[in-house]
Amino acid sequence: MTTVIAFQNLVKRYGKQLAVADLTANVESGKITGFLGPNGAGKSTSLRCLVGLAKPTSGEATIFGKRYQEIENPLSKVGTVLDSRGFHGSLTGAQNLRVMAAAAGIGNDRVDEVLSLVELSDAAGKRVKGYSLGMKQRLSLAGAILGDPEVLILDEPANGLDPAGIAWLRNFLRTLSGSGRTILVSSHQLAEMQNTVDNVLIINKGQLIADGNMKEIIGDGTLEEAFLRMTLGELQ
Amino acid sequence: MNLIKSEWRKLIYARAHWGLLIAATFISTLSVVVTPFIIDSQGELFGFGLDQTEAVDSTYANGISGYIFAIILGIMLMAGEFRHGTAVATFLTAPKRGSVLAAKLAIAAVGGVLIMWVSAGISFLAGYVTLMSFENVASPSENLFLNTMIASTIGGAVLGVIGVALGTLVRNQMLAITGALVYLFVIDPILLTVWPDTGKYLPTGLITAMLAIDVDAPELGFDTSNYLPPLEATGFLLLYGAVFAAVAVATSLRRDID
Ligand SMILES: Nc1ncnc2c1ncn2[C@@H]1O[C@H](COP(=O)(O)OP(=O)(O)OP(=O)(O)O)[C@@H](O)[C@H]1O
Ligand SMILES: [Mg+2]
Repeated sequence: MTTVIAFQNLVKRYGKQLAVADLTANVESGKITGFLGPNGAGKSTSLRCLVGLAKPTSGEATIFGKRYQEIENPLSKVGTVLDSRGFHGSLTGAQNLRVMAAAAGIGNDRVDEVLSLVELSDAAGKRVKGYSLGMKQRLSLAGAILGDPEVLILDEPANGLDPAGIAWLRNFLRTLSGSGRTILVSSHQLAEMQNTVDNVLIINKGQLIADGNMKEIIGDGTLEEAFLRMTLGELQ
Repeated sequence: MNLIKSEWRKLIYARAHWGLLIAATFISTLSVVVTPFIIDSQGELFGFGLDQTEAVDSTYANGISGYIFAIILGIMLMAGEFRHGTAVATFLTAPKRGSVLAAKLAIAAVGGVLIMWVSAGISFLAGYVTLMSFENVASPSENLFLNTMIASTIGGAVLGVIGVALGTLVRNQMLAITGALVYLFVIDPILLTVWPDTGKYLPTGLITAMLAIDVDAPELGFDTSNYLPPLEATGFLLLYGAVFAAVAVATSLRRDID
């Protein structure tokens, strides 16, 4: 197995608050890896360290052995969806993507292409402040695939999607993974994760508590049972 | 080059930037248009009228009144990234933050110049039309328009650059803009009265000196004799900008992005 994403003794502290406590974990090439953990476990913080938006207090997080800042034209290698808002409300969806595309040396044709892939073509010319939560989420996904990257880092991409959107996202991730891409995806939708992901990383209070393939982790039960057992202690 | 193109798109896509252009044009046109009326009605008290070249020159000189909007544009280009949350997409696409800053400085300079050209150009036209309605109006001095264009170009670029530096240092857009306005229009004038000698090195004194277009009309407050020569003033302003940018690069530009 080849490691694509590596967290190496990652520590991130906000004042006294230890958000990520010595996280060491690897993400395998060509697989969908679910990144799970209760609220406040440190998932978003770890991912933000991974893509260079937050500076680790110590340790490091790398993609293809490099820190994100060292990757040449990162959009063409790594696509990212974070939980924070990232688009200018008074620009249209297409304009927001064209700004990103220009910076990455990508043409406007590709912008139209990804907008149609996320089924947002009809709203492409509409200002983002008029988008619904799910439409914003689709726009984020469009931004992530803009550079046709080999690696996707997705923080709660299903957030705000309707049932059809979630089904669409499942197929979307499977198609991307089927073509050899590596996907690290955080989510609280465990039933959905159980059907979609190959490997699982579970963290709690900033520490890794489980790491393995789905079958190993869940045994005979469901992902939800395994998750609750590990994060809350034994179920009565 | 890609980053420049991306920043250029941010400049022209956002409606707020066009609003700044309109506001700058409105302010400068207004001050050019009202000046002849003030001179015409009050000038006699000082023995100063539109039949004098200085009076006509100082009318047109108000065409650079939109300069404050070049600073605001610069602030919005950087601080707006944090306000709207687009900093996330920007720095994911271009994680080398120094390069993004450099591209923004360049585009802010271009945007500042455009604001100054358009606002000064339109107010000149308006001034020309307004002056036609008066009788016995002197011609402006020969170099007035050339000097004003040079002042607009240098001024717009320098003030745009300073705005970006400020907006990088103070990420909060409202704070940066109100801070800049309060500083320029309240604190600087106070400092000026307390320490008159240092006044020419303070930003307002430097801006006035930089934009000074050889118009001297003390009767109208166009008294530039106490200020530095325009080139020196421009240098000092750029120094302020460089210090802000350097402090920003060492501090706020390194901070985490939410
Ligand atoms: N910018 C910040 N400043 C201070 N504390 C922070 C910051 N970002 C995160 N934290 C803290 O770090 C911890 C981990 O937060 P994080 O957002 O990484 O959790 P998460 O696993 O993504 O949670 P969720 O499932 O709710 O999204 C939390 O205790 C949070 O309060
Ligand atoms: Mg989170």
